[in-house]
Amino acid sequence: MLGIQKIAHYLPDTKSWNAEKKECFDIDDDFIENKIGVQCRTVKNEDDNTSDLCVKAYHELLKKIPVAENEIECCVVVTQNPDYNIPHTSAIVHGKIGLSDNCACYDLSLGCSGYVYGLSNIIAFMQMNGMKRGLLFTADPYSKIIDMQDKNTALLFGDGATVTLISDEYEWKPVTFSFGTNGSNYRELICDDTLYMNGRAVFNFTATTVPKHIKEMMEQKHLNDADIDKYILHQGSKYIVDTIRKRLGVDAHKVPFHMFEYGNTVSSSIPMILEEELDKPENSRMVLSGFGVGLSWASAIIEKK
Amino acid sequence: MKATIENIKTVIEKADVRGDVTMMRSDVPISEQGVDSLDMANIFLLLEEEFDVKIPDEDLALVQTIDQIVEYINSKS
Repeated sequence: MLGIQKIAHYLPDTKSWNAEKKECFDIDDDFIENKIGVQCRTVKNEDDNTSDLCVKAYHELLKKIPVAENEIECCVVVTQNPDYNIPHTSAIVHGKIGLSDNCACYDLSLGCSGYVYGLSNIIAFMQMNGMKRGLLFTADPYSKIIDMQDKNTALLFGDGATVTLISDEYEWKPVTFSFGTNGSNYRELICDDTLYMNGRAVFNFTATTVPKHIKEMMEQKHLNDADIDKYILHQGSKYIVDTIRKRLGVDAHKVPFHMFEYGNTVSSSIPMILEEELDKPENSRMVLSGFGVGLSWASAIIEKK
Repeated sequence: MKATIENIKTVIEKADVRGDVTMMRSDVPISEQGVDSLDMANIFLLLEEEFDVKIPDEDLALVQTIDQIVEYINSKS
């Protein structure tokens, strides 16, 4: 059996403050704090590419737990903003970290649902191939593609990266996954040179699809709210997180909100919160749910060992 | 269900907007009465769910005031 042993993250030091854009976008402090929920966005160094963010997250992991590079058998990077179209970013990360020649590497092209997909994918791949230690990276620096004149996106997205150590010495294991796609609406969140988001369409999708999806997954496992300690939702915006929470009918203390000081980090938002929540003694079972570009959604239930 | 000024205001209240919804004027755009763009998206979704109608993006200009919403929904049902 494989599961999550440890998570680490990297956030750039450079920040872009939304308070400086109030006049430009005709917004006030209440909108910044209570609707978007982003005081400032982290922005990567110009010289750093996606693989560099992954490597920096890996160095943070090494501060928490010793990792023998020659024991890593699988390296997966979840991104839609790779270093290059060719080759895959995971190969570049492999080279920069110095992983062994026997390590499998591949990328997963998914956005905000990417961490949950990645978790299922890397565990299944490793178990199928008898592997014991792997690294799941998330890094999707949207600063590469944001139109800074577009109110719908310019105030929202931050850069960052995470790495999850998957191993047979796990502390948390997934007990179920559930996935969905609405490909007919793929144009509502799309990048053709710059990012475009139809805010109303994405809001409608998340408010109607995600709570229903989470409830169905819990019902299938015969679980109710009392069985769940935390709901770790993708941090689309504060308004999105609050809306899903209200429609799920769960208490605010069960739904952490964490993007205020860095923004929406796409596939990194769930593992960034999970990193803290894994070690809290009050947590023994949690729901994860990511949703966004595709339109795509993925949820999981994880349990402490 | 037939739309009225009162039940439209009840839907707007469900969106947890700032201010006293009962004091809202029905002939002034909702967005000019302290309701931001995110709340507007939520109000339109709640209206669609409550009255079982679709309000496509191209019709949004027709539903800016409470009076317009009442007329729009009643014309659809």
